[in-house]
Amino acid sequence: MAVAALSGAEQRRSRIAPLDVALRYGTTVMAFVTATIVFLVAIFLIIYAFPAIAFNGFGIFTHLEWNLGNQYGSGVEHRGGFIGAPGASFGAVVFVVGTVVSSALAMAIATPLAILVAVAMHYRVPRRLKTPVNTLVELMAGVPSVVYGLWGVGVLVPWISNSVGPFLAAHFSALSFIGSGAGSGNGLLASSFILAVMVFPIMAATMRDVISTFPQIVFEGAIGLGATPWQSVTTMVLPAIRTQMFAAAMLALGRALGETMAVLMVCGSALNQVPNSIFAPINTIAAVIVSQLDSALTDPTGMAERSLAELALILFAITLSVNLVARLIMRGSDRVKRTA
Amino acid sequence: MRPLRILLALVAFSITTTAAAFAAAELLETGSSLVYPLMNLWVPVYTKAHDVKITTQATGSGTGISQAVAGVAQIGASDAFMSDSQLAQGKMLNIPLAISAQQVNYNIPGLNDVHLNFSGPVLAGIYDGSIHFWDDAKIKSINSQYGSKLPHEAIIPIRRSDGSGDTFIFTQYLSASAPSWKSGPGYGTTVNWPAVSNSVGANGNAGMIQACQGAKFSIAYIGVSYIDQTNQAGLGYAALENAAGKFVLPTEPNILAAAGAKDKETPKDERISLIFAPGANSYPIINYEYAIVHPKQKDAATATEVKNFLSWALTSGQDKTYLDKVHFIALPASIANLSKAQVAEIGS
Repeated sequence: MAVAALSGAEQRRSRIAPLDVALRYGTTVMAFVTATIVFLVAIFLIIYAFPAIAFNGFGIFTHLEWNLGNQYGSGVEHRGGFIGAPGASFGAVVFVVGTVVSSALAMAIATPLAILVAVAMHYRVPRRLKTPVNTLVELMAGVPSVVYGLWGVGVLVPWISNSVGPFLAAHFSALSFIGSGAGSGNGLLASSFILAVMVFPIMAATMRDVISTFPQIVFEGAIGLGATPWQSVTTMVLPAIRTQMFAAAMLALGRALGETMAVLMVCGSALNQVPNSIFAPINTIAAVIVSQLDSALTDPTGMAERSLAELALILFAITLSVNLVARLIMRGSDRVKRTA
Repeated sequence: MRPLRILLALVAFSITTTAAAFAAAELLETGSSLVYPLMNLWVPVYTKAHDVKITTQATGSGTGISQAVAGVAQIGASDAFMSDSQLAQGKMLNIPLAISAQQVNYNIPGLNDVHLNFSGPVLAGIYDGSIHFWDDAKIKSINSQYGSKLPHEAIIPIRRSDGSGDTFIFTQYLSASAPSWKSGPGYGTTVNWPAVSNSVGANGNAGMIQACQGAKFSIAYIGVSYIDQTNQAGLGYAALENAAGKFVLPTEPNILAAAGAKDKETPKDERISLIFAPGANSYPIINYEYAIVHPKQKDAATATEVKNFLSWALTSGQDKTYLDKVHFIALPASIANLSKAQVAEIGS
């Protein structure tokens, strides 16, 4: 009996061993594949955008104007060894400003809310309601962006145009950046609001997970020593987990920067002007790539399409550097913690 | 044994599907979202009587042109004809299928049930920001009967954010009638719009209607195919000043008058702007809706199917039962003949 059992285990081991090897190599390969895909995307974008990089030069970072040039004239314009339509000028300033400002404003709206909701979800919601509340927040995070966009077009934009704008104009007419009237309602405020609504659930859910890693016994100890819940949370819990909370916010910022459809539907698609008030129309890099692609395809020199690729490269660089900066900050604070 | 059975099933499936593919030729039509509703009226009727499968897509005129050039689509639909520099890269046929027009819409509470007058220079002023309020003297002077009703409210000019044949014909009208626009932004499916702080871009004709309806004191340009929707949205539409200095509405007789004034000028390759046509009744913003077709199709069978379908569209397809539903106008006989001559050039 004993011999038979042993040989059974041996048999099992000999059957599993090849799978183990496969798993080891498989995971190694997959780890490389992930890194390679990011690398290949960057290489593709650089090659695809190269004619535009040469044609536009540094001007893409200084020019306001996005102009395909005269598509129906004759002749072409030579710059940097490549050709574009006569009068073509591709400037990314409007779109970079729109992307960064709308995301920053969205973060300013969503972050405090997300922290409050995450704290409430962990410490305040009765145990019986925890699961439904958690599910609800996670459900919000899963709603497709176009749905938020439709809500923006149907509800948010008219509300800004008919109520928010006139109210602010009546009370803050001296401050031109909020008191100048909302116009059509499409613009910076609508875009940031939509972005805030979209990134808030992700942020709240991740932050709740982060807070739940804080030892409950320490929190209860603080309460036992006479601290109020507000004091415990603000002076003890949040400072202790601030790095992870920051990481959660960065995750959300990454989504806001690249969001396309919902923003396209409410941003007002500004061209050739940077926003001078919170109601002014804006345009983001992601939105302009979608809305200008069809026209770009008709440019016989192909430069318009290449310039859109250069915009994509800029967006890629922005998102990547946000990630890198976040990582550096987190690593820095880890080191501080360890040495302390 | 099971894998073998699945394999056999797959083989059998692929044989039957390839057999089906051989039985009926397949054509792809893609492009203009204005032509798309018309194609969707034509194609079911045509394919019922003919052994061919035609897929239709609304992707935008630019995509229609580029996919027809690349040979991905057999028929590219476009509101705009191709430029000389585009054609310099290889010959493409620009075949008119019908005539369309454009309305200029506005949303001014109290004035949406009347037809305000606009001229090219006034519209150019609104879109370049030099005319800022609805009670501007330049607007009042051509709308004397409503002068006291025009409000002192900032105008919200709405334009297309996506590349569009509607932008093409609207800016052509501005270029033809306002010298400052011609030397400035010019015309194209997307143009270098002057920075006007109130102005917003909207996506597609449906987006234009939504934006114009949602924003009081706005103005927009929308394809006449959407007139049922713009009426439903309660928007007003304007009478536009034509080359003869008269203000005319986009009615069928006025569109036909403009088409009639331009049909003798239409060259053999039919690439001509119908904007700002002469004649007392001519509506100034009309255009041919084009099928962009490669003169060399991938094989003889495909070429024949494309020719048959387009010939049908230029004869039976011109019937009012199709065109009235999308508010298009049939091609005048002389233009239809030019189109048929171009269809005959399609080969492989």
